[in-house]
Amino acid sequence: MLRIAHVPVSCAVLLLAWTMALPAQDTSTDVSSETAKMQAMAARIDELVQTRLDREKATAAPLATDGEFIRRAYLDLVGNLPTVAQTRAYLDSDAPDKRQQLIAQLIKSPAYPTHLANTWRALVLEPSDDPQRLQNEQGLQLWLRGKFSQNVRYDRLVEEFLTATQGSDGPGYFYASQDLKPELLASETSRIFLGLQLECAQCHDHPFDRWKQQDFWGLAAFFAQLERPGNDNVIGLGRFDIVDRDMGEVTIPETDQVVPPAFPGSKADYASLGGTRRQQLAIWMVSRDNPYMPRRAVNWAWAHMMGRGIVHPADDMSPQNLPSHPELLDELTDYFIRSGFDLQLLLQTIAITDTYARSSEAVSDSEAPPELFARMAVKSLTPEQLYDAFLKVGLLKTDVTMMQQDGQRIQFVARLRTASKDRTFFDTGMPQALAVMNGPPVSTATSPETSGLLKALSAPFLTDEQRLNVLFLAAYSRPPYPDELKRYQEFLQTAEPGQQSAALGDVLWVLANSAEFMLNH
Amino acid sequence: MNTTPHSRRRFLQATAGLVGAASCSWLPQLAAAAGADPNRKRSCIVLWMAGGPTQTDTFDMKPGHANGGEFKETETNVPGLRFSEHFAGLAQQADKLAIMRGMSTREGDHLRGTYLMHTGQRPGGPLNYPSIGASLSKALEHNQSTLPNYVAVNPSGLLNGSALSPGFLGPRYAAATVGTRGAPPAEGSDAMADLGVDFLSLPPGIDTRRQDARLALWKDQQDQFLARHPSGAAEAQATIFQSAVKMMHPEAASAFDLSQESTEVRETYGRGTFGQGCLIARRLVERDVPFVEVTLGGGGLGWDTHQGNFPAVERLSKELDQGWSTLMRELSERGLLESTTILWMGEFGRTPNINNTAGRDHFPDAWTCVLAGGGIAGGQAYGQTDEAGSEVTEGKTEVQDLLATLCRAVGVDPATEHFSPQARPIKISEGHSIDQVLA
Repeated sequence: MLRIAHVPVSCAVLLLAWTMALPAQDTSTDVSSETAKMQAMAARIDELVQTRLDREKATAAPLATDGEFIRRAYLDLVGNLPTVAQTRAYLDSDAPDKRQQLIAQLIKSPAYPTHLANTWRALVLEPSDDPQRLQNEQGLQLWLRGKFSQNVRYDRLVEEFLTATQGSDGPGYFYASQDLKPELLASETSRIFLGLQLECAQCHDHPFDRWKQQDFWGLAAFFAQLERPGNDNVIGLGRFDIVDRDMGEVTIPETDQVVPPAFPGSKADYASLGGTRRQQLAIWMVSRDNPYMPRRAVNWAWAHMMGRGIVHPADDMSPQNLPSHPELLDELTDYFIRSGFDLQLLLQTIAITDTYARSSEAVSDSEAPPELFARMAVKSLTPEQLYDAFLKVGLLKTDVTMMQQDGQRIQFVARLRTASKDRTFFDTGMPQALAVMNGPPVSTATSPETSGLLKALSAPFLTDEQRLNVLFLAAYSRPPYPDELKRYQEFLQTAEPGQQSAALGDVLWVLANSAEFMLNH
Repeated sequence: MNTTPHSRRRFLQATAGLVGAASCSWLPQLAAAAGADPNRKRSCIVLWMAGGPTQTDTFDMKPGHANGGEFKETETNVPGLRFSEHFAGLAQQADKLAIMRGMSTREGDHLRGTYLMHTGQRPGGPLNYPSIGASLSKALEHNQSTLPNYVAVNPSGLLNGSALSPGFLGPRYAAATVGTRGAPPAEGSDAMADLGVDFLSLPPGIDTRRQDARLALWKDQQDQFLARHPSGAAEAQATIFQSAVKMMHPEAASAFDLSQESTEVRETYGRGTFGQGCLIARRLVERDVPFVEVTLGGGGLGWDTHQGNFPAVERLSKELDQGWSTLMRELSERGLLESTTILWMGEFGRTPNINNTAGRDHFPDAWTCVLAGGGIAGGQAYGQTDEAGSEVTEGKTEVQDLLATLCRAVGVDPATEHFSPQARPIKISEGHSIDQVLA
């Protein structure tokens, strides 16, 4: 029996009008009870992670230092480094709940939906290093940003994505990129929203997999009735309107066998649900008791924050691929559903746990395997994060939203776009490394003529120690260790008079090309 | 670098994950290739003719027919095999060339044709396919080398970005590009084209003394982080940036420094970007770089001769002949031609009939590519077109078959699978190699 989480598609417009007419319910009692529930869930997460660590006789890493934490939280939630001033304020604060305050503040920042949209665009579309294609992706990214900035219920986002008809409306580019082919749309939407990789069953029944050819083509049948309208309304390259017809079926390749629509692993009758094929699929996917959709969302959120999913890889949640913490996955999923599919709250809850706040430093040689989450994973920055971080350390630009259309940024991102979706890999090559070391934006950020930061540091009343402090805070969000301070002070002393700024530029170059800078840890 | 047992273990795990299951299928293949030629790996050079060269005025001439145009044929060192009169150098080495006269493809647009010929796939699909350069350099790669595995010399500015791209293989397999530094020499100038690797030189204002000081500090910074944060990502960052540093070292960078060649040798190749690019290709092959692509006709799609076909093709043919024939001669003198396969191609051919502006238009139906050197049975033409040159009458060859043949010639099984991001196995080429042109 299907329990529908909220009013189905046909009434979505009405529902939207109704919710918008509601007065704001932001009373303080609601807020504090919400916060209490969130804190209780965070504590439960820590408890379940600790139970597993105890069982394996493994030791958790200590909590991260403030500098380590603020840098990580900024990168994960808003996609960029904190400024020197933001870092200083955080380091200087004595507030006992300053971690939670920081997370609450970041999640309300306009950079949060921008970063999340970036992250989801990369999840939804194959990586491309073609600048033309990158520009085409902007429509989808803007659409996602709109959804995330309103914190639209996640189930509704999925539903709107699956039933999109307007090419101007973001998801049109996703449909275009899959050529409107039922088999491609089936395998991609099930990977993205259900965490199921059914495509192996596309050609044959796999002996060890529960998914059969019938399952795959049954899902594909929901996308069998799509076409581009005759009066082709092409909106930008690679986007177009989509029409749902009432005819068109799929057949298993090289047979005449027509496969009717069927939900994977479910006996629910699609025909009893009204609307187009895609609407029927959407209704099934977003129903409260869909066994895959909310679990996949939770696993995505966990992987985004922790570097790996409770099920790993995060988009392969097949029954053979077991979760490291089954109870945790169940309870978090339940929490997510009860919260009204609130993705923002889910990320915020994970972000305030001690598990998220652990140091990424290794504590011993016999360290726990990564699936125990005993220490924070070391993650690569995305190309977008990296570019923006270089600009930030040079204090070249501060307004992130203005950077989206920067041609140099698009080129840089195209050059460094990775194929792997697993950010615990550092997936780049020598030509890219050369471009980073010797090209813009690093060369611009580390040259005294163009770096705002180096110009600011040339003030004569500053000591070398103060200057180095600023450089380290800008790049690493921490002051230098004593041995670093000594090393770089000695280096600055060898610089000839008049070359002080250049020498500081050299230090900034070293920091900008270091693993500590280029990784989120 | 931190080398405690546990960080090494993590690094190995991370690296294993990176190549993943893909390695399983090509390891036996590598072993087989090494068995055939224990002392060195194979290399491949693509000579890319931007714009789509005319087959009728180069390697599949139609003398006596109205479509034949102005050029005469010349005899080669293989009886019965004839080329354009402007290929005097190549004519002496025709025994090393297999002329593929039956090419038939389905893309008549520059960008789409460029993508098709580089990847074997028609563009627009959901997957970003790797170019043949990325696939082959991965299959043939030299982990120990300080030089990149895939180098593209002077790629066309109009080229679709994804045509040279590593696609789903990721940036680790992207081409290092060599471009012109400063303005290219003017027409009729005595100056030689000045080529260099993108971003290989230090940024303006940074000399080697300063760079050395930077690198000394950088090494300490890296070691410190790796010791505290052993992880696959940190080890990989350190390794890749370290290899970029090595590449900047004069010894490695000198592979690209043509001032180390005598003026006489440089002149022999031709002064333009193509000739000098061929010389770079020879220097890279000497250093075991597996894949080099050199473009002729670059920025302006030079072979796109819709108007005034004959003077343009004459000029381009002479430039091509000089660079290519010198490259083959020098490789041969060094004993390297046997392990180096050369593929000459553009995005499509040109119409056999001459249009009313003395030009030829786009024509993917029946055209010519050339295979040469290692692994190729030279001295033959494979495939045939009719008298007018308008259709293939024998040996029709699709791009997948051409690429499969190239793979075989360099000792790589074309069915070698690389994995898409969804772990879908994708063969380098689905086509069938043409045994008749394989040595």
